Amino acid sequence: MSAAPIHLADRIELRRFVGRELLLWLWLETELFEATLSTKEHGQFGLWLEGRLVLDEGKESTVIKGSAPGMHREAKEALLRGKTPERAGLHLSFGDHECTLTLRGETLAFAGLVPPRKTREADEPPPLAAPPVRRKKKRDDAATNDLAHESFYDRMHFARDVEALTTALYRDFLAVRLSPAWDAHVAPALAAWVAGEDVDVERYRAARDKAIARKPRG
Amino acid sequence: MTYARFFVEGELPDEFRERFMKAVRLRAMRPLEPDEEELERSGWAKIGEPFVVDLAYDDVFFNEYVVLGFRTDRWAIPGPVLRTRVKEAEAAYLEKKGRERLSRKEKAELKLMVSKKLRRQMSPVTRSVDLSWAIGEGVVRFFSHAQKPGAAMMELFKKTFGLTLVPESPYTAAARIGLDKAQEKAWHDLEMTCLASGGRRVTDEAAEEEE
Repeated sequence: MSAAPIHLADRIELRRFVGRELLLWLWLETELFEATLSTKEHGQFGLWLEGRLVLDEGKESTVIKGSAPGMHREAKEALLRGKTPERAGLHLSFGDHECTLTLRGETLAFAGLVPPRKTREADEPPPLAAPPVRRKKKRDDAATNDLAHESFYDRMHFARDVEALTTALYRDFLAVRLSPAWDAHVAPALAAWVAGEDVDVERYRAARDKAIARKPRG
Repeated sequence: MTYARFFVEGELPDEFRERFMKAVRLRAMRPLEPDEEELERSGWAKIGEPFVVDLAYDDVFFNEYVVLGFRTDRWAIPGPVLRTRVKEAEAAYLEKKGRERLSRKEKAELKLMVSKKLRRQMSPVTRSVDLSWAIGEGVVRFFSHAQKPGAAMMELFKKTFGLTLVPESPYTAAARIGLDKAQEKAWHDLEMTCLASGGRRVTDEAAEEEE
């Protein structure tokens, strides 16, 4: 990164908008690619906007709720009025995971990420009533502790999986955003998409794939 | 799960587990006392159990994770109650002294006395936010998005572990991913994409309306 004599806090603040553009790009791609995205590490997976979409500019904000908030006319109108996505509810379907979360653009922080219930435990019928066995308190405490630890590790592993996915998406976004393809192909596609005009999806896909596949130069 | 990520900067010291355990115990939450000057204090507590502040090794280390509760206690006396009680105290004091006015110093002393008396009749407000530090990853997950507790936690983390936390943001994430030279130049020159019709934004329209 640049070694310009700017304080880290200022550099962070000056590039907050890039996170909003990530949300905008994801929104565009979920619509163009019919909610099927892909990364090199994850292959194809499902991703679409769901729940709450918040767009703002200064003090004005637009909140759209629903199963497909990005499809609302109001959402695109907000973009045309200069608002950008501040946070977006996402539905993810990757690997064995199916989950929803809210991704905040300026901090890339997650909200409302719910780990999937353990299917094995959830599907298992309750054990047949056996005669109650009175266990010693110490053993009960240890068992409770083990369960709490297991649940903690499960949640952390799940969080890491989702973070790895969003990081891969952000890396691909940066590859496109910081390449000439952004001005040449993505920005015109965004403008057409917001205006409700047709976008040449295959042409767009070819340009973004080329930018993502480009080998980094030292 | 609702959380913000922070990245740990700095190297772990040798025998960090023992050292960190001592440091955490040293910075464990000390509950506020009514007669103390401090109105707010933060410290470490057991994760999920803010009132457990006597921390054992197993409370803090879950294999490769450090887990803690970031607890903050604050005296929160309702303003109208405090004002009423202070007025009552001032009136009683004036009557006792046979005077009509109080000096600024007397007013301040009476207010402090009333505050302490009220604090003895109530408990401080306690707020605790869970935190997990994946030591190998160098990532702290702080289960709140609020700015104030986040900033206070960063300060206590630095005091406790001697390591700096950098909050996640598009900038820090890009730095971690790593940009090549061309990307770095583009990043430096980056300007926000504007989709507003005619290039105009809400703020421009508002300014025109004001004119």
